[in-house]
Amino acid sequence: MSDPAQQQSPAPRKGLKSDQFSGLMLVALALYVWWLNRQFPVGTLADPGPGYVPLLLAIGLGAIGLLVAIFGGDSERLKDIPWPEAMRAVIILIACSVAAFALERIGYRLTIMAFLVFFLGVIERRHPFKVALVAVGFSMASFYIIGEMLHVPLPVGPGDF
Amino acid sequence: MVETFNSLMAGFAVAFQPQVLVYAFAGCIIGTLVGMMPGLGPLAGISLLLPATFGLDPIIAIVLLAGVYYGAMYGGSTTSILMRIPGEAASVMTCVDGYEMTKNGRAGPALAIAAIGSFFAGTVGVIGLMLLAPTLASFALRFGPPEYTALLLMGLFVLAYMSGGSMLKTLAMAVLGLLMGMIGIDAMSGYTRFSFDIVELGDGVGIVPVAVGLFGISEILLTAGQAEPPQVQNPKLRELIPSKEEFRHSVGAIGRGSLLGFLIGIIPGSAHIISSFVSYGIERRLSKHPERFGNGAIEGVAGPESANNAAATGAFVPMLALGIPTSPVTAVMIAAIMVHGITPGPLLIQEQPDLFWGFVASMYVGNVVLLVLNLPLVGLFVNLLRIPYAYMYPCILAFCILGCYSVNNSMIDVWIMLAMGGVGYVLRKFEYDLAPVALGLVLGPMLELSLRQSLALSGGEYGIFLERPIALTMFGLGALLLLVALKPLIFKGKDWRKSVGLEKVAD
Repeated sequence: MSDPAQQQSPAPRKGLKSDQFSGLMLVALALYVWWLNRQFPVGTLADPGPGYVPLLLAIGLGAIGLLVAIFGGDSERLKDIPWPEAMRAVIILIACSVAAFALERIGYRLTIMAFLVFFLGVIERRHPFKVALVAVGFSMASFYIIGEMLHVPLPVGPGDF
Repeated sequence: MVETFNSLMAGFAVAFQPQVLVYAFAGCIIGTLVGMMPGLGPLAGISLLLPATFGLDPIIAIVLLAGVYYGAMYGGSTTSILMRIPGEAASVMTCVDGYEMTKNGRAGPALAIAAIGSFFAGTVGVIGLMLLAPTLASFALRFGPPEYTALLLMGLFVLAYMSGGSMLKTLAMAVLGLLMGMIGIDAMSGYTRFSFDIVELGDGVGIVPVAVGLFGISEILLTAGQAEPPQVQNPKLRELIPSKEEFRHSVGAIGRGSLLGFLIGIIPGSAHIISSFVSYGIERRLSKHPERFGNGAIEGVAGPESANNAAATGAFVPMLALGIPTSPVTAVMIAAIMVHGITPGPLLIQEQPDLFWGFVASMYVGNVVLLVLNLPLVGLFVNLLRIPYAYMYPCILAFCILGCYSVNNSMIDVWIMLAMGGVGYVLRKFEYDLAPVALGLVLGPMLELSLRQSLALSGGEYGIFLERPIALTMFGLGALLLLVALKPLIFKGKDWRKSVGLEKVAD
């Protein structure tokens, strides 16, 4: 006979599950779309308006979100989802946003140089010589290949640099 | 048949033009390198290269992008076999036995069989494309709005059914993508919807920023800060030759994978990913020694690799014949063709025979290029994998910003890309499949237009979809698949995915 302790399934752990949470988020999004869609005429079945299909989709998204939440009882607990890289992900997104903001103001080459110096020098703490080499080399080479050889217009900054 | 042969010969005349050949080579090399980089799969690679094709001849543009596509498929398998890192999602199954073969000192034969399988499957796929696309295009001339509505909806149902993850989550992502497709000016009424007073959103949300954000940026957000890459084996040319036994085991798997991949490729969805999973499951089922799988069975490399390459080619059939993308990659390819004023669809083969047959012929050429290039140069390519990830990911990010900006010279696209990167990161944490979002975004406006036209045509009667045989058949098929997919959810039964061995991947 096997050990009775082994036969018992582990007690369900309490707390909101990941699928329940994400399902409810989808419902919330569906409600938001429905609210935004109120300003567009839905029309009639014979002559559907611009709000008709978005309304159908919002209803569909809400219904599916509800089903995800209802059937999501077996999923991982929301608290148990690991986020070890979250801080770095946020830093990456902020750095990319700053680069996007700077791109049309100081030009492609300067932006990408500063961007790479930040990532390689500040975040990854690489050797300053290698950082400078990669930052200058990458920005100049990519500008030459994409901008000059392939004729893709790239933003330039002060002094046409 | 004679007409097809003559057209193909005319296509070869186009494909063998030196300029086209050079771009086919370049596409294959870029694709292979892109496929080897984690975070830059075929979709991100094609999206980033898209602006560079604007100034090119349309045939050259599509040949270049197609080269990147199947080059990336092969490049992904190299990292899977040597490092257990799938360069792109379709190579996940190759990791299982490919890396075990590397650990057993058989990396060379694994790479060789992957290349031979990809070549054979690619060729089968091109023959299928050549024979099937013109027939399908003639048939599609009978399609009206109800048939297109039914076809698009069936595609979404098939996508949900074939999805490797939760069907409900896949459907939710497809609907999310369709909703994003509603952003911008409504073609029928002129209303600007969900644009938040941002002028650029009047044209809608572009596929490139969404694809690069969801697949490229989110991957980097998930993997940044990881440890240095592991040691890479560098197989010598003489070590690439498989043994007789390995050849014998691989032949059937390559044949089955090619056929299966092509058939799945025609169906909407992430066909190349699904096909490799299904092929692995089938090979394990058919094997007399299934216990070898997971421990370095060469069929586990041959089958999935052949399947994903055949599926990549199969996906071009509906794209060229119907003008309907069946995957995010083909959606970007359609955007690339439309930039040149060419609309893919049933009339493409009649109106642009040079483009269609030149493309088909260049795919034959591309397959040969990949085989000739990849085996001898594998040692050179793996050097890319020695670059520390700390250096690689900032450069990939810079490329993503550059690529998205240069499509329309629009900062809005860069902001959309970053927003989608963040959304994709969170959705992946919650185990949502992202491919349906990109697919829904492209299909959304088509579906809306055909649905509203159908309703206008019928005076508001949904019965129009049941009165037309083609539409009825497609709806019936879609509904059947949806019901079959719902069964395990309702009755807590065993999912088909488990029966083909996908539980291994989930682990």
